[in-house]
This record gives sequence, structure tokens and C-alpha cells, in this order.
Amino acid sequence: MPRRSEGDFAIDRVIHEPARLMITAHLYVVDSADYVFLMRNTGLTWGNLSSHLSKLEEAGYVEITKDFVERKPHTMAHLTDAGRKAFDAYRRQMKALFEDLPGEGS
Amino acid sequence: MRPRSALRDLERKIWLRTFEHGLWDVALGSLFLSFGLSIFVDFAPLTAIWVVVLFPSLRDAGRRLIIPRIGHVQFQEPRQRANTRLIGILSVSVVVGLMAFLFTAWASDGTAPTWALWIRGHFAGVLGMMWGAMIAATGWLVDFPRLYAYGALMVVALWTTDLTGRIHLGVSLTGVGAIILCVGLVLLVRFLRTYPKQDPREGPPHA
Repeated sequence: MPRRSEGDFAIDRVIHEPARLMITAHLYVVDSADYVFLMRNTGLTWGNLSSHLSKLEEAGYVEITKDFVERKPHTMAHLTDAGRKAFDAYRRQMKALFEDLPGEGS
Repeated sequence: MRPRSALRDLERKIWLRTFEHGLWDVALGSLFLSFGLSIFVDFAPLTAIWVVVLFPSLRDAGRRLIIPRIGHVQFQEPRQRANTRLIGILSVSVVVGLMAFLFTAWASDGTAPTWALWIRGHFAGVLGMMWGAMIAATGWLVDFPRLYAYGALMVVALWTTDLTGRIHLGVSLTGVGAIILCVGLVLLVRFLRTYPKQDPREGPPHA
């Protein structure tokens, strides 16, 4: 199970980490993407990307599939239903958190 | 599930990036160039050569040049349908072009009705409106804004041909094709310079 922070706002720390948040956001808006695409779009190195994807995979948020395209290995990542739900929940929590903070006029 | 707000912007940014390489422009430009040249030199098989040789080569170039540089992404269902639409409309453009040739042959045999003779008299203008509308509609359907400009260019070029009556239809169509092709080639060169081939085991060059 993914680790969550203590307190009223149970923020999902698996998603909350900036690099993983970027990866999850990119995978949320598309169906699936390969490593090169994610590296290009997130600016992460191969090692970093690989390690963060492994954590997301361990949490059950991302599924990695490996196949061959024109005899070359091709690795695609896509967000699982659990990952999609977790990301939606994270968005709602963050929105609620910032909406509840006192603003300049309050 | 449709992404919203900032996420929708992110998705659209990713989508538009898939047109950055200019290969679609090269495909469209070369298609109209082949139409124009086939009218100009009166050799219809030129378009067939485009369909049989050039289009598959461009698809292959896409796999070899584009994917190793920006990676492979599979969009969600609505966008996937858009790509199919783009290929479909390119195919329809080819069919419409070939039918236009057949129409002019039929309308010039002397037995054609008045409306057919009118269309034949304004053939360039009608073709320009038809293709211009088709290109702009494609731009709207697949969310590819450059196509609006190409549609307008087609209408202006072919209506100018029709109204002045001094420019050969083949020349103006070749010109439109050449302009779109040049835009595509410039974008392609810029893309190849901006995104060198990426080995997944190395970090991104711009990281």
C-alpha cells in the first residue's frame, strides 16, 4: 500500500514527490507512453525515471509492459485504474487544501 | 475520462508536439505538388506514385526519425480517432483529386449538362473551395491549427487562378504544394536539430 502522510490531509506521498507527480500527470492525460517520451517531457534521466517508475509500479499505480517493435525492445508505461483514482484523489485533496487556506482578503 | 484545466493544457501541448516534426506537412505538400505536376504535365500516374511510393516512405520515415527522438505515446481514444481521421481525409483528398480529373474529361465531351459546364468553367475556384474547406475541416477535427492557414492558402491560390484566368491550375496547385512542403521541410530540419536521437539509457540532452 502507498505511504500516506499523517493528519487530516492524508496526502499520497507516492504521487506527491515532484518527479513522480510529473510522471503521473503525463501518464494521466495520455493512454500510455514509452521511456523516451517520458524522459523528454519530464526532463528526468533514465536512472531517475526508472527508479520512480518502479516505485509507482510497486504501489500499483503504473503498469510497465515490454514488447518488441521492429525487433527492438520497447517499454511502455500506463496508469492503472488504481493510479488514475489515486491521482484524482490527490488532485481533490490538494485543491481542498489550498482552498481552505486563508487568502489575502480573509 | 476527459482531463480538465491545466491537465487538458498539458494534453494539448503533448498533442501539438506530435505535429512539430513537420512530416504531416511534407505529406500534404507533396500530395498537392504531385496533383499540380500531374495536371501541368498531363500525367495522372504521378499522383498514384505518391500514393504507392511516397506516402508509405513518409510513414516509414516517421517510425525511423521521429519515434527514436521524441518517443512513442499512445493518446486516449478521442485523439486516436483524430489520427485515423487525418489519414482518412488525406485518402479522401486523393480520391477527390482523381475524380476531378475524371469530371473534367466527362464535362468536355459536349453532351454534359449546363451545370457541369459551369463547374468546368470555374474548375479551379470550385476545387479550391472544396480542398480549402476539406483542409480547414481536418484542422478543426484533429486540432491541428496550421491546417487553417493551408486551407486559406489553397482557396486564395485557386480562386486567383480562376478569377485571373492567366495562371495554369497545375502551376498554382504546384505552388501551394511547394509552399506547404517547404514549411514541412523547415519544421523537419528544426525538429531534427532540436531533438537528437535519444538512447533511453542516457539522460535527455536538455535535462
